[in-house]
Amino acid sequence: MTITALQSSVHPAVEGGLRLQVTNISAQTDSISSITLVDPSGGRLPSYVPGSHLVVQYGSGVNAYSLTGSGNAPSEYIISVLRVDEGAGGSIAMHQLEVGDLVFVSYPRSAFAPVSNASHHLLVAAGIGITPILSHARAASDRGTTSSLIYVYRPGAGAHVDEARELMGSALTECGDRNSFQKVLTEQLTTQSLGTHLYVCGPVDFMDSVLNQARELGWSQARLHSEAFGAAELDDGEPFTVNLVRSGVKLDVPAGVSLLETLEKAGKTIPNMCRKGICGECVLPVLRGTPQHRDLYLTDEEKASNTTMMCCVSRSEDPELELDL
Amino acid sequence: MCSMSMPQAAVAGLEPGFRGVICASFGLTGDTAGYDPGAQPRHELHFDAATPAALAGLRSALERSNVGVRLVLSGPPAEIRAAAALAADCGLLDEEVTLLEALAGPRVIYCPHCHTTTIMQGDGAEVECQGCATTLAVTDHFSRRMGAYLGYSAYAEEAS
Ligand code: FES
Ligand SMILES: [Zn+2]
Repeated sequence: MTITALQSSVHPAVEGGLRLQVTNISAQTDSISSITLVDPSGGRLPSYVPGSHLVVQYGSGVNAYSLTGSGNAPSEYIISVLRVDEGAGGSIAMHQLEVGDLVFVSYPRSAFAPVSNASHHLLVAAGIGITPILSHARAASDRGTTSSLIYVYRPGAGAHVDEARELMGSALTECGDRNSFQKVLTEQLTTQSLGTHLYVCGPVDFMDSVLNQARELGWSQARLHSEAFGAAELDDGEPFTVNLVRSGVKLDVPAGVSLLETLEKAGKTIPNMCRKGICGECVLPVLRGTPQHRDLYLTDEEKASNTTMMCCVSRSEDPELELDL
Repeated sequence: MCSMSMPQAAVAGLEPGFRGVICASFGLTGDTAGYDPGAQPRHELHFDAATPAALAGLRSALERSNVGVRLVLSGPPAEIRAAAALAADCGLLDEEVTLLEALAGPRVIYCPHCHTTTIMQGDGAEVECQGCATTLAVTDHFSRRMGAYLGYSAYAEEAS
């Protein structure tokens, strides 16, 4: 067992969650590993909505990872972790896990759910973005809904390729470069019957270009579903102070610790879900000071108005921020 | 009433995979001519009423279309609501459908006494049945099966 198994204090983000054991680790590619987690007492794990993620504690930090199964009565949870060498350390710690280690995880959280009355799912994944997309593909196949998948990955760096091939058959299109992807995407976006919804996951600029192209081709917003993933892990940032005006408390937020974690450690309960600036759950009202916005949720105008911030990822441009809390 | 085979008629001239604007109007004068779809290709459909045959025609047109298509419906509220329900069933989303309600358009009124339908102009409350001359009070109840609003004998209470 490694050090991670000995973590004694449970992070607030996974409190009340599950304590699971690593039973398998398999290398998907040079930098992506799949980790299988089970209930050490052998019980069934809670079902989850396709596209859900788990918050996993590593050492004293937490990170969110997509589940790759269909979510229906699972006996194990499988996540895939991309090692990001310049990240905050979460992915490296995850790669040091060994079979037999115990980890604290949250219950699965859903922020990328499928539309139940869709008659077809057009799935688009790039790189590590395959993980929640694979979950959607499996769930669709279990339910008897058709789906097709366009998967873009660098040759030799594709995770879950064999599973995708087996699951999708001829409904899978693999692309190794942007040009061939463009052709397939345009073709798919213009030939879908009316019950089709689109789900895309991958790096932010990749998703933006897919979503923009879909909109240009007449796809309405309600047909478009996305989850930002593989967004580079954020740097530690500068320390700052928050002044909680209503509680009359000042807290120091050290470098490498999020405002959300700081508030939680001070006993505040802040609604949150993704903990990576995507879902919008952890929004806080700002009274004074300029937040350093690092989320993917607020619009540019909302960011510019500096009246709200996502405390899971955003920090402060000023030495002190005043919050309505 | 339109009696030609509606599903085929509705898709005549509609290319498979259509992603423009389908403009469907209901009623004798209801039309979508005032609607400007911009540069989008446009496919016009007109039905006297939202009869089962008319709705089947609209369904064929939608099934022939692909994601990206928009639908504009114009005519009396109950009829375009019936058409909008069908569009939702075909997978169109609310934001892809525009409803242009014509409040005082001609309506088709069904007489429960002689089973004739009568076309009524304007937004009055009564019409004389062209089948049995009963004065029919017009209800808001639109029968999708008949493609008509139900009428009932306006003076039934007073009959000797
Ligand atoms: S918890 Fe999702 S945006 Fe902060
Ligand atoms: Zn009559």
